[in-house]
Amino acid sequence: MLKQIQQYLSVYQSFVSTSFAESMNFRLHFVLLIVMDLFFYGSAFFTIEIIYNQVTVIGTWNKHQVMFFLAFMLSINQLVMTMTSEAYWRFPELLKSGELDFILLKPVNSLFLTFFRYIRPGSAFNIFFTFPALIYFGVKVDLTPLAWGLLPFFLLFAFLLQSAIDLLIATSMFWMLEGTGMNFLRMEFQQMSRWPDFIYPGLFRNLFSFGVPILLIGSGPIRFLFNPNDFIPFVAMLGACFLLWVLVALFWKKGLRAYESASS
Amino acid sequence: MAKWFQCMKVVWSNLMVYKTNFILQSISPLFVFLFIKASLWTAIYKGAERVEIGGYDLNQMLTYHLWIMVVTLISIGAISQDLSQDIRLGRITAYLIYPFSLFEFHFSGFLARQSVKLAIALFTLFGVVLALKLPLSVTSGGWAILLALWAGLFWFFLNYFFGLLGFWLEETWTLGVMSQVITYFLSGAIIPLELYPLWMQKILFFTPFPYIGFVPVKLIMGSEVALAQAFAVLTLWIAFIALCGYGLYKRGLRLYTAAGM
Repeated sequence: MLKQIQQYLSVYQSFVSTSFAESMNFRLHFVLLIVMDLFFYGSAFFTIEIIYNQVTVIGTWNKHQVMFFLAFMLSINQLVMTMTSEAYWRFPELLKSGELDFILLKPVNSLFLTFFRYIRPGSAFNIFFTFPALIYFGVKVDLTPLAWGLLPFFLLFAFLLQSAIDLLIATSMFWMLEGTGMNFLRMEFQQMSRWPDFIYPGLFRNLFSFGVPILLIGSGPIRFLFNPNDFIPFVAMLGACFLLWVLVALFWKKGLRAYESASS
Repeated sequence: MAKWFQCMKVVWSNLMVYKTNFILQSISPLFVFLFIKASLWTAIYKGAERVEIGGYDLNQMLTYHLWIMVVTLISIGAISQDLSQDIRLGRITAYLIYPFSLFEFHFSGFLARQSVKLAIALFTLFGVVLALKLPLSVTSGGWAILLALWAGLFWFFLNYFFGLLGFWLEETWTLGVMSQVITYFLSGAIIPLELYPLWMQKILFFTPFPYIGFVPVKLIMGSEVALAQAFAVLTLWIAFIALCGYGLYKRGLRLYTAAGM
């Protein structure tokens, strides 16, 4: 088991170094990626600032609580953009051209090889913006020492849940000819999850918490961090994370069976 | 004219083949965006001490965002990825010898997509007016649609310009996404511009952004709008960006190596 983890870590290390080498060949694109994300983060924070110039609370949350939530979601977004986002856009091409064949031949898990192969170093750079913002607003909302200790793990769980949802959507591309639309669907879900669950009306809140659990990505852990008695969404998030990864493995296998290998 | 129509027909049949793609890519984001904004503003008004925010009560705010969806359906289109990819892969070579230029090809594609989006926007507009019994003056509604179409033209030229940067850059999609983020933020698509700081509002009206969302919506909602100024500012921006695009194309062609042939 340990040996296998070591093997995967060394493979991932190669992915990181080749992605860095590739991005250094296109330096302007590298810089533009950073600037693009910064514009996005800036507009998101400024939107909340403008809203809170008019009101003191949304739901029961004050400005700093919503800012902390947003910083958390942008950190997840930044991790997704860095680690997996590129692969979702390339995946339909792999299916259409039959290049997935070459991935299936390699002695490494094909899901790992397909979706964790392309790293965006430009987006990785923005960790210097999202994480300090998370810490800054964490201080503003007076997080307890326990909450600070849990925060890195919650980021990891949120990233895992986000990835599971994204991967499930991506596997549908096995049965669809075009993947662009599904990638837009993925982004729309991400957009919805960037607001706290309490803004949505009851029926939709339940649907997007317990049906397609996108609202649990941020609201599950953050509500628990603000109030440990409010633990149900967090427990639901852990359950959803486990269940969806099982479904990802299942649908990936089913998808591979449906894959027609266009090149052969 | 027949060439233009044939090109448009190709785009229409493409849209028909990849219907789900078109809906998920161009239509559904606006509905999702509307749903998020409607939920958000409802939650905001629930907690607010005042009934009005920036001169809008809840119903007016929701109506504003409904019209924003209809207007941006026409004024904001796809990004420039295809063009820059065509340049990078040497696919534009054919247009150098065809009796139909690269610009004409892309513009006819734009017209075809725009006609579909206009039909959907008009259908939504009249559907909403009839279903919710919202007041709508035919004259101001007509001017608003015309202004949105004009803004759509600006959006096309802007994205064509970004696409042409493919002569120099490996990837240009980041510029498209950036322009989309900035446009949504500064056009009043997220928050009505009345809520922005006054100094910012003053500057914004010299840029094309308010005319992409905010101004057409105010027209539909029956507010007084300086129409001549709106068309003048937007026309100047269209002329400017189209000229830049023309210059860029001429310079780019000198660098073009027709790689991929």
